Amino acid sequence: MKKAILVLALLGATAAGAAWALSAPTRMSAEDASALRQGDAANGELVFWAGGCASCHAASGAKGEDLLKLGGGLRLETPFGIFVAPNISSNTADGIGSWSLEDFANAMTHGTSPDGRNYYPAFPYTSYIRMSADDLGDLFAFLKTLPSVDGKAADHDLGFPFNLRRGIGLWKRLYLKPGPVISEPVTQDGLDTVLWERGRYLVEGPGHCGECHTPRDFAGGLELTRWLGGAPAQTGEGSIPDITPTDGGFGGWNAADIAYYLESGFTPEYDSVGGEMVHVQENMAKLPASDREAIAAYLKAIPPVAVQPN
Amino acid sequence: MRINRKLGAFGVLAGLCFTAGMAQAADDPVAVRKAIMSSVGAAAGLGGGMMKGGVDYSPAAGKAAIATMRAASLSFGAFFPEGTGEGDTGAAATIWDDADGFAAELAKFSAATEQAAAASGKDGPADLDSFKAAFGPVMGTCKSCHETYRKKN
Repeated sequence: MKKAILVLALLGATAAGAAWALSAPTRMSAEDASALRQGDAANGELVFWAGGCASCHAASGAKGEDLLKLGGGLRLETPFGIFVAPNISSNTADGIGSWSLEDFANAMTHGTSPDGRNYYPAFPYTSYIRMSADDLGDLFAFLKTLPSVDGKAADHDLGFPFNLRRGIGLWKRLYLKPGPVISEPVTQDGLDTVLWERGRYLVEGPGHCGECHTPRDFAGGLELTRWLGGAPAQTGEGSIPDITPTDGGFGGWNAADIAYYLESGFTPEYDSVGGEMVHVQENMAKLPASDREAIAAYLKAIPPVAVQPN
Repeated sequence: MRINRKLGAFGVLAGLCFTAGMAQAADDPVAVRKAIMSSVGAAAGLGGGMMKGGVDYSPAAGKAAIATMRAASLSFGAFFPEGTGEGDTGAAATIWDDADGFAAELAKFSAATEQAAAASGKDGPADLDSFKAAFGPVMGTCKSCHETYRKKN
């Protein structure tokens, strides 16, 4: 009996130790880090809009130049609790002004802070992990040029067990994966492969479209089998639409319709964009037309997601 | 005096009609506001189609699109009584939680249509460029309201 208790205790300690080890925040490999280089701020601005950084990190309702003041503070009220976007301005005390490029790349692609804590995946590093080293360097160079904003944002307000930051390390082992979601286009018919791949990069990487348009499982991980197939809204009322080429749904939009929507904010029926998508659309409108065409080409050649039975 | 009495009778009659209209609308404000918004959608489709080039421009069509938006912008806001945010409606709870913000969006909408109606004149904007100048700002007000006050869809 005594022996059994000892074995159980040992097993328990081993499990706890394993969980502790497995939940450790990860950092990028030396090889990945060596690919980083200080970039070009002009291209970094395009990456900034493609990535939608300002949509969360600028003040709520900001327009124009105010979109470049990244003091944070936006509250995302989700089923897991309230996440508050932090200050990522160039302020050295309250923002990321003292970070190295490698610190930045670790945050963006591994969800790990410079002091070795896990970030919550409300920060979409699960998408940003697909960003190229060049784009990360360019984006960092651009962020360095933006105004310094004083003041730290409030802490997140999360209930148990989501308030255990260390546990996110286990979550990342399950859900943080490099590499594309859709390995190849579902049709080659009239397809420009280079354009499609550019679209895949923008949608799956910096654009982080899947973070809202794909449903999440009980643990908050994306259900990749229903990639971009629409989902209940994580914040506010309503739902986020299916943007796969489903018959009778989004499949009725042609590539030009999709590109026009991203440029103008109007659907083919002249309904207007709404909700958080307003920010996304206004960001996409700042990209070159070829990028909007690339996104459209990608969305037209991914697997349609079957309508979920009610 | 006589004229005054006639005017008075007219006033009463108009008042009755108005009241009857209001009573009907009050029965189903959700249906009324949906009908108004679908007329907005139709006007946006017509105006947007002409701006984009899919539909040929004519001043009469331009005038119709602007006049529809004008009427909608002045009436739409009256059909959001408290307690009509549930069920089959795109109206978000923020309409009532942030009534001042919603009113400000409606004011932007009607200010844009007022300008457009003034530019439209008796026969409608003479050419596509003047139509674009008048109608573009009206179209621009759609998303600033839909960003916060419409349920996601």
